[in-house]
Amino acid sequence: MSGHDDEHHHPAPLSPVEVRARALEELLTEKGLIQEGFIDAVVSAYENDIGPMNGARVVARAWVDPAYKTRLLANGTAAIAELGFGGPEGEHLVVVENTPAVHNVVVCTLCSCYPWPVLGLPPNWYKSPPYRARIVREPRVLLREMGLDLPESVEIRVWDSSAEIRYMVLPERPAGTEGKNEAELAALVSRDAMIGTARP
Amino acid sequence: MTVRVDTALTTMTGPAAPPRRNGELVFDARWQGRAFGMAIAVVERLGLEWTAFQRQLIAEIAAHPEAPYYDCWVAALERLVLDCGAVTAEEMKTAHNTVRAQAS
Repeated sequence: MSGHDDEHHHPAPLSPVEVRARALEELLTEKGLIQEGFIDAVVSAYENDIGPMNGARVVARAWVDPAYKTRLLANGTAAIAELGFGGPEGEHLVVVENTPAVHNVVVCTLCSCYPWPVLGLPPNWYKSPPYRARIVREPRVLLREMGLDLPESVEIRVWDSSAEIRYMVLPERPAGTEGKNEAELAALVSRDAMIGTARP
Repeated sequence: MTVRVDTALTTMTGPAAPPRRNGELVFDARWQGRAFGMAIAVVERLGLEWTAFQRQLIAEIAAHPEAPYYDCWVAALERLVLDCGAVTAEEMKTAHNTVRAQAS
């Protein structure tokens, strides 16, 4: 699927579905059902403005900037706002730090409270009753089933998010990443690592 | 332009849920993103509930389980605008011909 962005310069044969999509867009624009700029704004909002890359940037900054990390752990909401993220459902963000001895994992046992501004859309399993129940009752077993096998020596702390406080995990910086810059580091941080069900 | 992120859309589950990578929506080609935005625009401008589109999408996916997700999405949107009378089949056919002629 290449060449879509320069199709105006080098007309390529359109697939049948592309013909239909483009025809639909022209018709709907003609009829005033689509406003100028609306589609771009929608795509940008869903693709870029929400999503774990916000959280990943917070994590990467904390990995490269010890002073930022201190502020982040002291007041998550304020430190995250420094990077321009926040708003509804991100008003009371608490960041908990993984260390060699402690692994943190986040749940919302009551419903599906989730730090939207930094982590985007919650995955379906986060909202599922089995995850909500088992991560509290048997976190080590469930994490292993989810692909994260922690040594017995590592203490697991489970944080129960609520409407008032939403938690995010600050994972440990992976070994061997000394030469990476902040953007490269951010690319290593997955959504699951910030929930605590994976490690980067 | 600010856009309200519709939770009815973002919480769609099952086969009708848009493809994601690392929790984020994934568009493999530009037209897919545009089709996504079109559906949101149309539902809003026609004053419909998101479920009106979702039902068409589920029906398309059920009828063509082998088809790529956004092919079903486009088909569902065509069905929606035809059914509510916003666009006629004749207009759609003409638009297809126009686009094909422009692209060739």
